[in-house]
Amino acid sequence: MLSDSAGRRDLLLMGASLALAAAGCDGPDEHGHPLPARARGQAAEAASFATVLDLEGLGRGVLARTRAGHAVKLEGNPQHPASLGATDLFAEAAVLSLYDPERSRRIRHAGAPCPAAELDAALAAVRPALLASQGRGLRLLTGPVASPTLARLIAELLAACPEARWHQHDPLADDAALAGALAAFGEPVAVLPDLARAQAVLCLGADPLGPGPAQARQARDWSRGRRAGRAAGRLPRLFVAEASPSLTGARADRRIPLHPAEAEEFARAVAAALGLPGLARGGTHPEAAGIAAALREAGPAGLVLAGRGQPPAVHALAQAINQALGAPGTALRLTAPPLARPEPMAASLAALTAAMAAGAVTHLLVLGANPVAEAPAALGFAAALRRVEFTLHAGPWLDETAERCRWHVPLPHPLEAWGDSRAFCGTPAIRQPVTRPLAEAARGEAELLGALLGTPLPAREAVAATWRAAWGEAGFEARWEAALEAGIAGDPAPAIAPALRPDWDRPGETGPAPAGLVAHFAPDPGLGTEARNAWLQEMPRPLTGLAWGNAALLDPLTAATLGLAPGDEAELTLDGRTVLAACWPLPGQAPGCVTLPLGGDRQAGGAVGSGRGFDANRLRSADGAWMAPGLRVRATGRRAALVSTGAPHRPDTGGAVPRLRPGETLPPVAPGASLHPAWAYEGRAWAMAIDLDACIGCNACALACQAENNVPVVGPEELARGRGMHWLRVDRYDAPAPEPAAASFQPVPCMHCEQAPCEPVCPVNATVHDQEGLNVMVHARCVGTRTCSNNCPYKVRRFNWNDHRPALDTPRRNPEVPLRPRGVMEKCTYCSHRITAARTQAGLEGRALRDGEVETACQRACPTQAITFGDLNAPGSAVAALRQDGRGYALLGHLGTRPRTTYLAPVVPAAPA
Amino acid sequence: MSLSTAPIVAATLRPGNWAFRLALLLALAGVAVLAGAVAALLAFGIGIWGNNIPHVWGFDLIAYAWWIGIANAASLFAAVLVLRRHGLRTAVNRFAEAVALAAVLAAALYPILHLGRPWLFAWTIPYPATTRLWPQFGSPLVWDFWGIMAHVVVTSLFWFIGLIPDLATLRDRAATEGRLALARAYGIFALGWRGSVRHWHRHQAAYRLVAALVLPLLLSAQTVVALEFATTLVPAWHQAWLPVQVVVTGLPSGLGVVLAMAAVLRLALSLQRFIDDADMDLLARLLACAALAAGAAYAHALLTGLVLEDAETRAALAARIVGAGAPAHWGAVLLAVLLPQLLWRRGLRRRAAVVIPVGLLAAAGVWLDRWSLVVDGLLRERLPFPAVPYAPSPAEWALLGGSAALFAAALLLFGRAIPVVAIFEIRHEETLAEAAEEER
Repeated sequence: MLSDSAGRRDLLLMGASLALAAAGCDGPDEHGHPLPARARGQAAEAASFATVLDLEGLGRGVLARTRAGHAVKLEGNPQHPASLGATDLFAEAAVLSLYDPERSRRIRHAGAPCPAAELDAALAAVRPALLASQGRGLRLLTGPVASPTLARLIAELLAACPEARWHQHDPLADDAALAGALAAFGEPVAVLPDLARAQAVLCLGADPLGPGPAQARQARDWSRGRRAGRAAGRLPRLFVAEASPSLTGARADRRIPLHPAEAEEFARAVAAALGLPGLARGGTHPEAAGIAAALREAGPAGLVLAGRGQPPAVHALAQAINQALGAPGTALRLTAPPLARPEPMAASLAALTAAMAAGAVTHLLVLGANPVAEAPAALGFAAALRRVEFTLHAGPWLDETAERCRWHVPLPHPLEAWGDSRAFCGTPAIRQPVTRPLAEAARGEAELLGALLGTPLPAREAVAATWRAAWGEAGFEARWEAALEAGIAGDPAPAIAPALRPDWDRPGETGPAPAGLVAHFAPDPGLGTEARNAWLQEMPRPLTGLAWGNAALLDPLTAATLGLAPGDEAELTLDGRTVLAACWPLPGQAPGCVTLPLGGDRQAGGAVGSGRGFDANRLRSADGAWMAPGLRVRATGRRAALVSTGAPHRPDTGGAVPRLRPGETLPPVAPGASLHPAWAYEGRAWAMAIDLDACIGCNACALACQAENNVPVVGPEELARGRGMHWLRVDRYDAPAPEPAAASFQPVPCMHCEQAPCEPVCPVNATVHDQEGLNVMVHARCVGTRTCSNNCPYKVRRFNWNDHRPALDTPRRNPEVPLRPRGVMEKCTYCSHRITAARTQAGLEGRALRDGEVETACQRACPTQAITFGDLNAPGSAVAALRQDGRGYALLGHLGTRPRTTYLAPVVPAAPA
Repeated sequence: MSLSTAPIVAATLRPGNWAFRLALLLALAGVAVLAGAVAALLAFGIGIWGNNIPHVWGFDLIAYAWWIGIANAASLFAAVLVLRRHGLRTAVNRFAEAVALAAVLAAALYPILHLGRPWLFAWTIPYPATTRLWPQFGSPLVWDFWGIMAHVVVTSLFWFIGLIPDLATLRDRAATEGRLALARAYGIFALGWRGSVRHWHRHQAAYRLVAALVLPLLLSAQTVVALEFATTLVPAWHQAWLPVQVVVTGLPSGLGVVLAMAAVLRLALSLQRFIDDADMDLLARLLACAALAAGAAYAHALLTGLVLEDAETRAALAARIVGAGAPAHWGAVLLAVLLPQLLWRRGLRRRAAVVIPVGLLAAAGVWLDRWSLVVDGLLRERLPFPAVPYAPSPAEWALLGGSAALFAAALLLFGRAIPVVAIFEIRHEETLAEAAEEER
């Protein structure tokens, strides 16, 4: 009963493994071009490379672990400021895209594969004409560019062709932030919050803990701030006013569901309460006085962040308040933006589209962007594209834009290419290939630009040339090697101190809040550019529980008024544009505001990404506005194909997460009574402690676990049947009234109970206890009665309902973790293979294991270091200390299971602030 | 009055009529569906079923517990008749035993087929394997292996020992008719029975001994099934009274099926004189009684579960009984407890058109009760784990229908190959009647 799509995907993945078996069984030594990168591992067999991956154009440092030349797993680079050793969803998932069997592998002309020589000939043919006309009619469209090399080459191209124009497009770009910075300072400025030092933070639609290029770093800082605050008895305060629930909002002390039309009024009310000088107009809001008092009390440690979708005036207000608080230097740092050329990207694309439609564009190069799918449909980019004579698209996939361009060139995956990048804070890093290219015909952007410039250089030489120019010839090689070794190539951008312009406050047009519903567009992790990644598609979104698609998010009251139950289909109409979408009531959503996640229903998204959810771009206005009034929602009476992993509202009926007030403690974790004799643990006793006060629900742990342990993707049909295979799930519990919006997240791996209920019920001894307290699953012994799952009160055991091995047996699989056959149980092992590896290493070195030497995959990924793993019996181990913490508790401890995984309860404010 | 055993023997030895052939054809078609469902299961795995986490068990365990319940009630009935030397045994205990045996065979499918890797089922059997690994004797699933094995062995013995004198009769009749091959076949299973007094003496001793063995078995098999649930930490299952509840609520299904079978046989094989109105009357009242007992068990569950237990258990049982699980639970109460109460009316219990549907619906009611236990027992777990409701797939329906067809086919073939009522018991009654006449 395999579904069509599942079967098709399996076939594709199997095909890929065959192709790779033919091409890729050799190590990196036999690379097409040699790797100068120094391996971090002990041997080439198991090497690690420091490199960098981009998100929204900004880099996050990773260490890529390879096995026999194949990239297997990505982890954070502790030296990189955007990672500090942690990862995010996208970094974890990137390695799967490397092996995507649907990646573009051939250069194409008019849709048909053609030899590379034809492309070279075509580029050589257009070059003289373009140079002669000074590049008139030549346009270059890229994503946001922070790469110094790419910026240099583009600058060279523009210098050679002064009439040519460069445009950038990013569907998630926040143009209003740029406009706000220009209004406040007259120059583009990047705001880098320091959440470790901030004592009072107000987020106006900002989501510093949510998905983005700085998520791992900001989440780390935030958790450090909370840790220090708990120790000092004075927790930093976090206020969030937002339209749609976010990860930051979930962890806020006070969360205010705010209609988008009220955002400016709210910000003005806070500014007025603070007595901000230069304020053109005040405002009122009942919450403003309390928040302003907290900010004033915090002083320089106070911080206001305005987020994506806020009007420029709100961004300017936030900048002005921060200046008034004296926050720069304490709670935040202002720097020059990391992007090579900050610009309003919606306007940039609109200008390009207009020029194309007017016939002013003869040659268009689209490098690493997909505007046909990602720009608002109302812009008419696809139609304008037809008027361009020479179109070339370079991208990793044969996507919607590729299908409409004359030429298509496959881009290499970042893990197989040379390049460079800047982090959100401006820190540069060099990208190096960690594996031989899986698509031989792929060419990087730098190579294409070089070919167009007539200075064709291999990508490595192009990058080296950039840095040779920056560093000088003297000692270059040593510096280059050091940069590759460390994964960073310099320091963060220096702080700047721009002066606030006297006329910073330019109020937006005022008026009563528009009647009816407001459309609020939002990014959706897992869709959009990442839509082809099955790991991301299948990872339930933390706040909705939806996977393999998206839904229009409404507040429960509005949904009830419209007669929409969770999963009902509705017809959404905005300015005459119509789309059908599933609806999902979301507690905490601002009334009157419908959130429309971008990036669904891709037309050319491949077997994994096509047709998932609905495409909000069909509603979005041509100017790329993040919100639009006048949305009409009508129930169609049909049900939509929506895959959800739970109800919209999830109260904590089982007492899973006790919420402590500051200073409160829980009774110590004590072993409950048991009829079974207790085990003696003479040697090590592995245990895990998960700090729920630090957990932000980002799912990085769950995805890291999936990558590390060869956990299969089951597809939407199976997931909807309740057969997801994630070994680690992140439960969400909504706070009880009167704070219905804030939530607690609880990662639930195997508890490795000392009195494990699963063990005595297994008839064949397939799940047993080992001498170090691991609850071990012996796959080879399992006959599949599933009774262990029945008796697991935590429901962390997963059953192989189908045979997932064919889809998993690719070069991506972690060879240290076996694949499980059909009909057996599996579950979290505490990464026992990592324990074994560490023990072996310690044995080879003739020493004892050190505390913290064994890091589980989930622990390594966690941006907030919420997960601690170690030996309970080791004196002074971190996990043993956390067992003694006053916030510690065992989940369902009253059952007497004596779990080895324990939790630390979250701390909530004493009274609603 | 004299009862001749000739029609019983004739029913066995003569070729079947068109109705029989049609019924057998239908049953065999159902068995073919079963074979297809089993083949698909082995080829594609349990993924073709509707199970998930937490609903790791569904139709498999429901059907298992249900068939065991039918087998148990039917053998309990037969054994009680033998042990009490009750007059009714002449008529109905033979096919009560047959119903029990066929139901055990249908039940025995599931412990193997429900495994993720059924070909490794032998690992639940204790034998000195080269792995030097023994089963985990603490697991109720291992107890279950013993439970079902004991049930198969004792039920077969009970049925076979009761059959020996009749097999000898059939051997003799076939020999008289000159059908020597058939006579030899019956002769092998008659174990050289010659009908001597010593034979009769030992036969009676053995028959009653095995009948006595059946009694603890009834408790053990159903109890072990119940323990598979009761020993878990699932709040709606973790109940000391669950075994009693499962044994008692299983009775109406077996008695209902025996009653319906008796009514059908009476009509189909013209055995009204051997299974007379008094027999039917008694059987029907037994069913009504068992239904009352089941009602008492439900009342007990309501009281203890919803009033006396801790909050977690109360919430779980409330979900099962009055929450989302209400349809299955109250459907079971209606069909297995309330409907059989009709049979207290003499007029109704004499009519085949009443007892056949009431008997079968009582069995259906017990099936709903097993659904309520296996599926709706998981409505409330310890943690609010985001569970997807269990929905059986066509493959599971095919397996359920197929096992019912296997049951029917076994009974039909049984009706053709061996006497449906015990000839020797009827002869015994004849002798008693003659002796009484002589005394007069």
